[in-house]
Amino acid sequence: MADAPTLSHTSAMMLQAIEAGHVYGYTVMEVTGLPSGTVYPALRRMERDQLIRSQWERQSVAHAEQRPPRKYYKLSRAGEKTLEAARKRYPLLAKLVAAVEVDDA
Amino acid sequence: MNGAWLQYTTLRIASLLVPSDQRAEWIEEWRSELWYIPQCRATIFCMGAFPDAFWLRRKHCVPVKRIKIRLESPLSCLALLATLAALSIFFAFHMLAPRRTPGSPLKAPDLAGVCIGALTLSCLLLPAAVWVWRPPASRYSVSWSSTLRRGIFLVLKIALLQSIVLCGSIVQILLGPLGTFTGIAGAAAAVLALRWVIADQQRRCPMCLRLLTNPIIIGTPSRTFLEWYGTESTCPHGHGLLHTSEISSSYSRPQWLSLGDSWSALFAKGAARHS
Repeated sequence: MADAPTLSHTSAMMLQAIEAGHVYGYTVMEVTGLPSGTVYPALRRMERDQLIRSQWERQSVAHAEQRPPRKYYKLSRAGEKTLEAARKRYPLLAKLVAAVEVDDA
Repeated sequence: MNGAWLQYTTLRIASLLVPSDQRAEWIEEWRSELWYIPQCRATIFCMGAFPDAFWLRRKHCVPVKRIKIRLESPLSCLALLATLAALSIFFAFHMLAPRRTPGSPLKAPDLAGVCIGALTLSCLLLPAAVWVWRPPASRYSVSWSSTLRRGIFLVLKIALLQSIVLCGSIVQILLGPLGTFTGIAGAAAAVLALRWVIADQQRRCPMCLRLLTNPIIIGTPSRTFLEWYGTESTCPHGHGLLHTSEISSSYSRPQWLSLGDSWSALFAKGAARHS
């Protein structure tokens, strides 16, 4: 755990959101309340640091629903470890994202 | 419709910042995300494309290799100073030549003032030069030839620097009337350059005149009154170690510890890297 990178509160919140199932850039924005100019560069940075992985949705699925395909993100093994460390550092993290989820529902 | 046009144009402009090999995928991602954004927030959403594109551009940039001036060897140090001196002399004479007319802005008293200033600086430097010339205290005396070489190196450095300062002052006068700020800035630059000459001399090996490396702090400030506290530096060619006290005093000098030939194998790799 000692080698897990230290995350900022913003990045930790975004990791938490992705883990909670908000896997698209826009939904991460919605859940965290962060602007697009923060979320998208941060997602790229975390992908570069191998904390998350991105993948394009299959064309067939998107076409069937008559919408453009989206890029979705999921946590890597290193990302899960880092998030675990971040939760110890920011104890209210899980509640913060969960509370927004409840509001959305 | 007009709103959509504005948003696509915003994304298109932002995409110009993105490296060309990633541009198509980048714009596709932003357009697909835009599809899900409510119209009232779409323009603000698209403004976020600029930081994202800028981040990609920055990541893509290859860091420019910094030019490192190597001054480890005494010859490279003298070569650099000689080049700077030659350049300053060239500029001073080049600017002086077409102005040898009765209406020249450089008056004789100005030139005399600069020369007297440089001479005064040399006189003021003399005690410091003698102090720096002295080799560090050592149990084994440093050879006469090393002391002479050290002295010649110091004199050459001061002479080259003086010519840079003198010609720099002439260029400064020729460029325009000396204001208070430019005068003070010039004097401060000269003092800093002289300070560098003295500090550089003290950081060199008294045997080979190469810059000492690997400074290590020994002791703690809390024990200043009981034990020695300072820095130990090593000659890259293994000639010895220099112990410099953190608090310099008039009665103590840096201590030079000569290392015998048996240490040379240990420094062979470092010497090859520095040469």
